[in-house]
Amino acid sequence: MDAVTTLVLLATEEGEASGLELVLPDTAELVWGLIGFAVLMAFVFWKVWPSIIQLLEERQQAIQGKLTEAEEIRVEAEELRRQYAEQLHDARTRANEIVEEARSDAERVREQKVADAEQEAQAIRERAREDAVAERARLVQQLRSQVATMSVDLAGRIVHRELDEEQHRSLVDDYIDRLSSMN
Amino acid sequence: MTTPLAAVEYGGPWEVPPVSELFTFEAFAFEGTIFAFNRVALLVLFASVVAMAILWIGLVNPKLVPGKFQVACESLVEFIREQIAIQVIGADGVRWVPLLLTIFMFVWINNLFEIIPLINFPPTSRIAIPFFLAVMVWVLYIYLGIRTQGAGRYFKESIFPPSAPKALWPLIGPIELISNFITRPITLTVRLFANMMAGHILLTLLFITAHAFMVWGRGLPVGIVGFVASPVLIGFEFVVGLLQAYIFTILTAVYIGSSLHPEH
Repeated sequence: MDAVTTLVLLATEEGEASGLELVLPDTAELVWGLIGFAVLMAFVFWKVWPSIIQLLEERQQAIQGKLTEAEEIRVEAEELRRQYAEQLHDARTRANEIVEEARSDAERVREQKVADAEQEAQAIRERAREDAVAERARLVQQLRSQVATMSVDLAGRIVHRELDEEQHRSLVDDYIDRLSSMN
Repeated sequence: MTTPLAAVEYGGPWEVPPVSELFTFEAFAFEGTIFAFNRVALLVLFASVVAMAILWIGLVNPKLVPGKFQVACESLVEFIREQIAIQVIGADGVRWVPLLLTIFMFVWINNLFEIIPLINFPPTSRIAIPFFLAVMVWVLYIYLGIRTQGAGRYFKESIFPPSAPKALWPLIGPIELISNFITRPITLTVRLFANMMAGHILLTLLFITAHAFMVWGRGLPVGIVGFVASPVLIGFEFVVGLLQAYIFTILTAVYIGSSLHPEH
């Protein structure tokens, strides 16, 4: 049974008077309806709507503020990033310079050390050579002396005559010098 | 089936409960005056108080970061603003949001009383309530039409649309006259009133059915059907109440828009 049929049935049961009563507005209900609506409308216009407008403005300002703040932070971060990149670049350049300096210093030290070593080696060689020459001279001198002694002794035995010691030594030295010059 | 069911509740042998008992109430104050205060008047005022409480809690002194209830209230205002006011009236429809919000809340809460336990009566099922709302809208859109376009142009173009061929004016004129100035308030009134009245009768009959057949033992299966169907119908009536509030609000916006922007 649909609503309309029900309504008609109920209205018919009650007769025409109550049916008409249902579709004619009651004056007092009109008045109270109007009062209820007017109160609500006044409340909405004076309290609710200004609050909503204020809320929207505050929210807009808050969002705008946050966006501006975020943009400022972004710019600041970008500036910091640029500074850091610059500093990093400088640091790398400086590090490269330091490494380069260290390398050139090391090279210089190495060359110096090599030069010193060579110089020292040369000095050692020179000293060794001088020592060798001196030793040779000393040995030659010693040998000369021994040979002279032996030669005098030997010659004395051979010729059985006494040679003057000084003459004899002179002869030997002369002989040895000739021998040396032959070498 | 209606007669015996109703009779059970009202004590008599197989009599229909008088419709007047479903929809008319004795005044308990100021009887005989235009301020006669009965149950309908009380409920209408209570509906306004409830609506104000909801709006007060949700939207007066709102938080910048809203809670759930404030979000719900803001969503309602947003919906009325975007989907009704701006969509139907245009960009200048925003200034009509407070009125549309008031109409929506007033009609919705009054409709909602139909399914609220211990109240179980929608004041909008009394024709006076939709009638005064419809008359208010009627006066408003005619006033806006006259103010915006001038009386002569407004009535002339409302009755004889410039877009229609002049040859059809004798046919269209009476139709537009009746449509724009007579049937609009009537349909606004009757649509809301009849829906809520029918809903109230249906719910009453269903509750009586469940009660009579289950409690009084006149036929348990029928009672169970009625009992099970009750929440379904309550849910249905909730949707109807919401939908009627939306329809009343959007039609108000349409009528305001047609007066402000007749070219549309």
